[in-house]
Amino acid sequence: MSQKRYILVIDSRKCINCKACIVACRAENRVPLGHSRDRINEERRGSFPVLLATFEPEQCHHCENPSCVRVCPTGASHRRDDGIVLVTDDTCIGCRYCMVSCPYNARFFREDRGVVEKCSLCSHRLDRGELPACVQTCPSKVRACGDIADPESEVSRLLDKREYRVKNPQTGNAPQIYYLL
Amino acid sequence: MIRKLDPNPKNPKSRGMLCARGNAGLLQVYDPKRIKKPLIRAGARGEGKWREVSWDEAFDYTANKLKEIKLKHGPQGVLWSSTEAFAEVFFKNLGLAFGSPNIVRHPTLCLASVNLAYSVTFGAVPSFDLQNANYVIMAGANRFESFITPDTMDLIDSTMNRKTRLVYLDPRFTVTAAKADEWYPIKPGSDLAFILALVHVIIAEGRHDKEFVKTYCQGFDQLAEHVKKYSPEWAGNETEIAAANIVRIAREFSDAAPRALFYSGRRSSWYRNDFQMRRAQAILNAIVGNWDKQGGVVPNSKIALGEFLYLPWDDPEAPRIDEMDKNFPLAAKSDGAYLKLRENVLAANPYPVKGWMICKQDPLSALPDQSKTMRMVEQMDFIATIDIQMSDTAWYADVVLPESTYLERQDPVEVLAGIWPVVVMRQPVVKPVHDTKPCLDIVQGIAKRLDLGMYFDYTIDQWNEAAVKELPLDAPMDYLRNHGVYTPPGGPNYGATLNPDHRFVTQSGKIEIFSDRLKEFGHDPLPVYQPPEQPPAGSFRMLVGRKAYFTHANSSSNPWLLDFAPENFLWINPKSASHAGIADGELVEVSSSAGSAKLRARLTEHIRPDCVSMLHGFGKRSQWLTRAYNRGGNDAAVLENGWDGVSGNAAMHETFVKVRKA
Repeated sequence: MSQKRYILVIDSRKCINCKACIVACRAENRVPLGHSRDRINEERRGSFPVLLATFEPEQCHHCENPSCVRVCPTGASHRRDDGIVLVTDDTCIGCRYCMVSCPYNARFFREDRGVVEKCSLCSHRLDRGELPACVQTCPSKVRACGDIADPESEVSRLLDKREYRVKNPQTGNAPQIYYLL
Repeated sequence: MIRKLDPNPKNPKSRGMLCARGNAGLLQVYDPKRIKKPLIRAGARGEGKWREVSWDEAFDYTANKLKEIKLKHGPQGVLWSSTEAFAEVFFKNLGLAFGSPNIVRHPTLCLASVNLAYSVTFGAVPSFDLQNANYVIMAGANRFESFITPDTMDLIDSTMNRKTRLVYLDPRFTVTAAKADEWYPIKPGSDLAFILALVHVIIAEGRHDKEFVKTYCQGFDQLAEHVKKYSPEWAGNETEIAAANIVRIAREFSDAAPRALFYSGRRSSWYRNDFQMRRAQAILNAIVGNWDKQGGVVPNSKIALGEFLYLPWDDPEAPRIDEMDKNFPLAAKSDGAYLKLRENVLAANPYPVKGWMICKQDPLSALPDQSKTMRMVEQMDFIATIDIQMSDTAWYADVVLPESTYLERQDPVEVLAGIWPVVVMRQPVVKPVHDTKPCLDIVQGIAKRLDLGMYFDYTIDQWNEAAVKELPLDAPMDYLRNHGVYTPPGGPNYGATLNPDHRFVTQSGKIEIFSDRLKEFGHDPLPVYQPPEQPPAGSFRMLVGRKAYFTHANSSSNPWLLDFAPENFLWINPKSASHAGIADGELVEVSSSAGSAKLRARLTEHIRPDCVSMLHGFGKRSQWLTRAYNRGGNDAAVLENGWDGVSGNAAMHETFVKVRKA
């Protein structure tokens, strides 16, 4: 079987800022209180009554060329062959270089364990054939997660059919969250 | 130990999702400030001093108090109030078996006006087929922040896939407004003018469904005459929505019919004319012929369940204290009218009510005019609350009976009605963590001591087996245990009433555009518009609303939810705030004739300058709601008493407030 490569495709227009993804992640990954691995960026413009509000879910972009992995002195931050970027608790020394190097502000320091934590794309769920918690729980099904190496996958079909963008491509990180336009 | 809750993909209502509250629900089980044992008050009411007791002692104590009140004031001297829950039936039946006519449920704080409006017009309560509609007009229902399954998911899906055009009216720029194709910050209270003008245009231009109207409706000619005066130009002045837009929306709406609908929503407790406003929505839907069609307004289907044959009790002898027959003769009598009921309890009219049994409800938070509810609390000789957490009302009770959470108990099987009804069964996933009981056990414990045990002589399994035995399944209980939900084959139901011989459950057997029945009871047989009173200079209309991550007033203390809104703010337009010299984040006092609340101001362009708004469920009095206690302001303290005259539904958007620096 060919090597899988996981990506996220996000249709922000469908996001209604309901926070289900954040709470599902908190439950699935026992995220410590006061932190979240995913977030919803809000943008509000205009003055009454000409107004605009947009919501954009964001989390680790699981970059193809991740700066966090390059700067990690111990190899705790690493990228799996299937594209998922992870932090190994045992070898993380909490130096937080990765947090500084991440262009997406996708990581936080976990005081109680002295390690850096971030979205794992629910690799443990993907490994047993389940979708990440944020993808599954979403009332408006904003996110699609799947294998870009498989041309028949939902994510491949979406990217074939729709225009998209990635955030901050100039960093050279080759981020793997694709935002549909 | 529950680690994570996943959605049930087999349930067609939830469309495979779990919202933020659903995901956070497991923390209810492990909340360190849960009610862990039955409690009897040890200090003054509201002082927070409790004595942990055994269930036997709690039952004995409760039953003795109820007997005392019954002896002195009769069974009508005890009020039984509860809110929507699968197990609500047991609690309600205990009140009835006790002999009290005073059972009050939640609809008159919620959707009584819309249910009655559709019942009077169509003889049925419908669902709105958002999955298949091409054109939706929605006023205030804010479906993208106030979730209802499957409406929320269907509407976001169809709107964002450009299948449905969404026209949204709201004095606030909500998430629904942000996602709509068109948003109009309508002048509050003028919704009826907008709807009547739509009807005016549709009839004037002959855009109604003539065949449908002729076959199924009565009173169309009277309507045509009645709406002549409600021109779009007139409505433009009333609503602040340009006449040209009203005309265009009316045309687009009727062009899209029958896949076009005016959505009515759930919490329809807005105005004193709320019933007539919802009636106008129903009439608009009727004349474009969207009734019982794909993409239209569809009568709810049900699935017949069997009933466990319990011993029947005698009907109560005393009349209801809210005198439904006299005050709201058309309304659902068995639900009661909460605010009228509170008036009459406070006046002991026509008799005293001195005991209050409460199940899963928090009247101190849910009813407008908290000071009146507090007076009702104070005049009670005895109050017992059944709840999973120490709500504000539980905090002032004499006995608190801890119910097991929904993850720890077996609930009765229930039908969720709709276009595609389902049977659901909620089962325990863990054993009760503390000394708590499911509702039926609590009801039986009290019933036995009141010598009413014979009316509740069954187990939850017997009840459920009787309920499901007629379902077309080999082993219905096993099926529900395995799947949690039963969906009848065949998919959504449309068109069952679209037969010229069908008799609608109305007086005439037709869809009643003109209602003789309303006329008979002294109400307008067609909706008549009266301009709403506007706030005087320096005052604002107070609006209340919800967020997708809190359930009513219940979940603001949940640690996985509260950081999205650790306190509530008073939304105020910057123009209005600068007049009053109020800065963003500043503590303000918002006050009405009912009372006041202190909270911080949030200057936002997302609200009309003549309105202010606050999120429901804050400013808690109960110290066991550790994270919500005393945070932000309580809307119930500010909202004034008032109701819709036909349905008895609370009117929660009729309060004018003053705002000043605290």
